[in-house]
Amino acid sequence: MRGFIILGLGLVLAVVFSLMIGDVWITPAKLWQGLLTGQGPGSLTLRVIRGPRVATALGAGAALGLAGAIFQTLFRNPLAAPDVMGFNAGAGLAVLLAISFGWALPMPVVAALGGLLAAVLVAALAHKPGHPASGMVLILVGLGFGFTASAIASFISVSLPVSEASEAQRWLTGSLAARNWGHAAEVWILATVLSIALAALLPAFKLIELGNDLATGLGLRVDAARWSIIAVGVLLATAAVAVSGPVPFVALMAAPLGIGLTRAREPGARFAAAALSGALVMVLADLAARAAIPGVQLPIGVMTGILGAPYLLWRLSREMERGEL
Amino acid sequence: MTSGRDQSRSPGSGASKAAGSWLAAMLLPLLVLAGLASLGAGVRTVSPVEIWQAVTAYDPANPLHVTVIDIRLPRLWAGLVAGGALGLAGSIMQALTRNPLADPGLLGVGSGAAFAVVFGSLLLGASDSGLLSMLAFPGAAIASAAVFALGGGLRGDVGPVRLTLAGAALHALLLSLVSAVVLVRSDALDILRFWVAGSLSEAGQRPLLPMTIVAVLAAGLALAMAPVLETLSLGSGLSRGLGTRLWQAQGGALLAVTLLMGAAVAIAGPIGFLGLMVPPLARRFSGHRLGIELVASAMIGAIILLVADTAGRLILPPGEVRAGVMTAVIGGPVFVLIARRMRQGASA
Repeated sequence: MRGFIILGLGLVLAVVFSLMIGDVWITPAKLWQGLLTGQGPGSLTLRVIRGPRVATALGAGAALGLAGAIFQTLFRNPLAAPDVMGFNAGAGLAVLLAISFGWALPMPVVAALGGLLAAVLVAALAHKPGHPASGMVLILVGLGFGFTASAIASFISVSLPVSEASEAQRWLTGSLAARNWGHAAEVWILATVLSIALAALLPAFKLIELGNDLATGLGLRVDAARWSIIAVGVLLATAAVAVSGPVPFVALMAAPLGIGLTRAREPGARFAAAALSGALVMVLADLAARAAIPGVQLPIGVMTGILGAPYLLWRLSREMERGEL
Repeated sequence: MTSGRDQSRSPGSGASKAAGSWLAAMLLPLLVLAGLASLGAGVRTVSPVEIWQAVTAYDPANPLHVTVIDIRLPRLWAGLVAGGALGLAGSIMQALTRNPLADPGLLGVGSGAAFAVVFGSLLLGASDSGLLSMLAFPGAAIASAAVFALGGGLRGDVGPVRLTLAGAALHALLLSLVSAVVLVRSDALDILRFWVAGSLSEAGQRPLLPMTIVAVLAAGLALAMAPVLETLSLGSGLSRGLGTRLWQAQGGALLAVTLLMGAAVAIAGPIGFLGLMVPPLARRFSGHRLGIELVASAMIGAIILLVADTAGRLILPPGEVRAGVMTAVIGGPVFVLIARRMRQGASA
């Protein structure tokens, strides 16, 4: 329980600092005044400038954290995350395609279709009849798929007019610039609906964790349950991608961080911890991306790349010492 | 993971002389064609006859001649050297690690070189010049040492999965750092694009001559190491008998990879996937002889890079797709295909 309190406090602090810090400093007193009266610089920051951005980061981060926890538990592999396996890149590519061809579909739908298609493709490519696909092959194939998807995305971005260059940047590396309450509402609603779906699947998830044979013996239709859980995981990741672009490594880092802090055992608690830490990582990364270098706004994807890649390296060396790689 | 390499090598597939003439008969004409296309194709198409005139009787008043000599010839030169270096580096790396997914351009060596150059220009406040490009070499050296240490080191068999993943992580980290540094210096997206995914379009401003000399020297070093490295692919039992010579060959090979990648990045920016795609193609000519594989890799690397660059110029006018993006679009699926086959070695 102590871990959850630490995570929650950290999240509150991160949000407050995120609202305060930027090109213009806004003191907590001004923020409070703005919140109560709806007047002054605090109110403007909350309503228009930093408020929607932080809210979007919270929702997208929580969704990514949940998605990471789902895949890492299901595949029993700490490297299995939707960003490592190329699903985020697939969703980002779909959005970029929709923009450049002018498809009149809502972004979350496009991103979801792209992410699901990516997942099906990666699974199909890693599958070979008669050989059960090992988790590592799945991850390597996904990595290659991600390389391909982001290459095609940069390819397409050449044909976009220069005026859309910053928008293209979002779908290539991930960015939270220029987010409004519409984006925040979008990711929050989707993440809530999908969390409810995940909660409904939780009993099946617990059975699968006991092992496929046991789950089948207890009357679970394992394949159907697995695929439903995977679909929920992919959709959670793409809900985040639709508002923030394919931000790398948040899904990879969040669950181990949250679960490590809270020492949660029970699946429901682990998912809660992953969602909280995903939100925390995303808000902090966005803050760091804005504040690390004065006068320069880095895209958040660059910051999570700098934070997440060393984590992946550390993780690899730990897996190696345990002899699992 | 010896199986991946051995499968493609049918023992006794002809004498080396036969392979040599194959190379000449198949690859040289392709290389010449790719070179002609690189000089001739673009916004203005220049016929081979006009190219010949531009070379033999240069007329500064003729815009076509200026295009060919001042813009496209440096580009051809850059493509030959960078493409050759990248293909060669890929073959050496794959022989060294016995990993069909090992491409120094994807393992962070190329992005390490790029990061060193942009970071140096940030510290010194200078724009990237020829001298600054020399930083590509220490950058590539540190990155290749790091990826080896992270991927399991030279302590025997470097597991293909962990080397590939460690390299991918290092590559992602270095590219993020490159983006951050370039965005600090200016928000000119063009500069960022060059250092994130390379291109031959800057060839005129890059230090072509010194880098060519370095690349040629490194190629010679690699060829000298080839016979000893070849025994590596026969298994560690046999190669262990070689003792110190093996260590020397491995060190020499790493040095060659570093120099080749540094030179390629200084000329063309970081370009991935050539080191992945080229070696399997080269092995079709070379069988199990590494020396011939290296020569074929250099030629095929140059051909693919020139074709990628030329196609990138033509494919989405008026925009230009950078060569580094073109090779990634072709090379990504190749990565997936090779990864699919790595079933047996996956737990190594």
